[in-house]
This record gives sequence, structure tokens and C-alpha cells, in this order.
Amino acid sequence: MSYDFHKTKILIVEDNLPMLELTKSLLQTFGVGEVIPAKHGEGGFKEFCNHNPDIVIADWMMVPMDGISLTRRMRNDPKSPNQYTPVILMTGFSEKRRVVQARDAGVTEFLVKPFNARDLYRRIAQVIERPRQFVRSEDFFGPDRRRSTKDEHRGPYRRTQDKSITPEVEDIAFQEIVKSGDN
Amino acid sequence: MTTHYNQTPRRKAEFIRPPNTLKAKVGSGGLSEDILNRAEALLENNTVDFQPLADMYLGTLMKGIEAAKEAGPSADREQVIAAMLYPGMQLKANGGMFHYPLVTLAADKLIQFLEVIHEPDIESIEIVLGFHTTIRAVVLGKIKGDGGEHGASLLKALDGACTRYFDKYKGTLDKLEDGEF
Repeated sequence: MSYDFHKTKILIVEDNLPMLELTKSLLQTFGVGEVIPAKHGEGGFKEFCNHNPDIVIADWMMVPMDGISLTRRMRNDPKSPNQYTPVILMTGFSEKRRVVQARDAGVTEFLVKPFNARDLYRRIAQVIERPRQFVRSEDFFGPDRRRSTKDEHRGPYRRTQDKSITPEVEDIAFQEIVKSGDN
Repeated sequence: MTTHYNQTPRRKAEFIRPPNTLKAKVGSGGLSEDILNRAEALLENNTVDFQPLADMYLGTLMKGIEAAKEAGPSADREQVIAAMLYPGMQLKANGGMFHYPLVTLAADKLIQFLEVIHEPDIESIEIVLGFHTTIRAVVLGKIKGDGGEHGASLLKALDGACTRYFDKYKGTLDKLEDGEF
């Protein structure tokens, strides 16, 4: 048994065309059924409303709308077809305050560029295997900014389907980056 | 045992666990090593020419440097720094994606420097210019990979310039952090 991505739709929002094409090719190699491209947050939101993708992968720095604003809109705009769609934010920033800013905007996972194919896969596997619960409060709507660890399995993996939750997949983007930022 | 000191919680948060439709679509088991290796090979063998991209970001960085030189005392220093920081971030992000890890390493040092300087003074702008010159030389020289010993010495020189800057202004920076200015 292995993942079958052919029924999934992923929206990539990236203003750098070579980067967009490269990410698209990686997703196609993973077997993703439909990859929808958009060049900036504004176009990205339009495509998001039109296609209701399963995952959104967005760059941070774009004009006229960046990845953070796109995420806020996906989470809060009444036109949004799914407020819970996972957002993987790609960026060259890895400083703690930037990660926290992204997290507070409602981003699900953080992917630091440059990345390799396994880095991208780990983030996707993370949103599949360990989806975050959502929080709605007076001033925030988005994925829970704390990630529960009580269900973590510490013992050996004995069944083939357990491969999808190997420790490699359990790489916790935000927490790892925040921890490294503390050093 | 009481919670919230017997007071009524004022800010209520609702926790929602959305259905995992993605898991239902893709199933279990992860991706095979074969697929992941093919994807890695695709990245390693990409033939994108990084130079036009690098030229664009270096051009934006130079505009940021020029703007910082011309900025008066009333200019918003965070904006002035951001105009150099953002193209620096793009160079860091894209260099390594397109076979120029030395650009990523140098631009990462530039970001680390810009993230902590207090203001874009003449000396710090000169250092940013040094980063620009170095990164441009790496791209024009088509130095792919980490640049070996030469790459290491370039990074060491950049590191040294940043360290000397902070050593020189250490007393002033400490006072700034203590709010004495």
C-alpha cells in the first residue's frame, strides 16, 4: 500500500515561474492528479474558489497579494470554499519571528527554501497524517498553534501501513524551526 | 480544585476537528523510495538558468542599497532594511534550488545580518554592498556547488565583516537594547 495522489488537487501560488514549474513537476512525480498554478495571492484566491483544492502551497513574498494575506483570506473570507484547507508556506525566511507571523496568519506548515523533494513530501505527509485541529476565538481562526503530542507513537512500527507515520513524517515544521530559532 | 480563580472565562475558544478528507483520498503507506528518488533526481537535474533570476534579485538589492544610502533621518528604517532584506531572502531561497548553494549560504548570512542591525548606517550599507559584490561574482563566475576552499574563504570574509561591525558598535547596541537612546 502506498499513497495514491491521483484524486488530489493542489494549488501552487508562486510568482517565480521556474520555481512554480519545478514545484509542479515534483508534485506530478508524486502522482498528484491536478496541479493548479497561480502567479500571486489574488489570482491564487480566485483559483482556490474555482477549484477548491485539497492543499495550497504558496510562496510568501508576492505582489499584489502575498502568501500570508492569501492564507488570511482563505481562512476568513465568506467566499472561501473551505476554511480548513491546509496551507504550506514556502519561503527563504527561517527566523523565529517570521515563522510565528506565518503561524499566526493561519498557515499550516512552513517549508524553508531551498528545499529538496523529501522536504516537500514530509510537509504534505504531515498535513495528511497529522492534521491540525482548528481554533476559533475572538481574534483568531486557523490551525491550532500548539501541536498535540499525546498521540505520538514511540514504539516500533510493525505494520506496513505504519510507514506513512514514520518518524521522518513526524518532522514538525513549525516547532523544529522555532526551536532552532531559539539557539 | 478550581480553575480561573472561580472567574468566568472571558475569551472562549472553540476547537474544531475538520474531517480528514485528504487522508480518505490518498490512503496510507506513504510514497515509495523509488518515487522520492525520482523526484530528487528531477531537482538535481533541473536545467533552469539561475542567472536571469539572480540578476533580477541583485538589481532589486542594489536599488535597496541605493535607497538606504539616500535615506534621510526621517525615513522608516524598517522599510529601508526590508528593501534589502527581501531580495536577499529571494537569493537565499532560489540559489540552492538552482545549483548555486554558495549563493544561498552567502545570502543567508546577509539575512542574519540585516535581521539584527539596528539601523542602516554607512558601515552596514557597505557590508551589504560587499555581499552584493560577492554574490554577483559567484553568479557571474558560474560557481556551482559550495565553491570549495574559495567558497569557504568568501563566506569567512563576509562573516568577519559582520562580526567586526557588531564588535565595533557593541557598546552602542547594548545601550540601544537597554533603551538608553
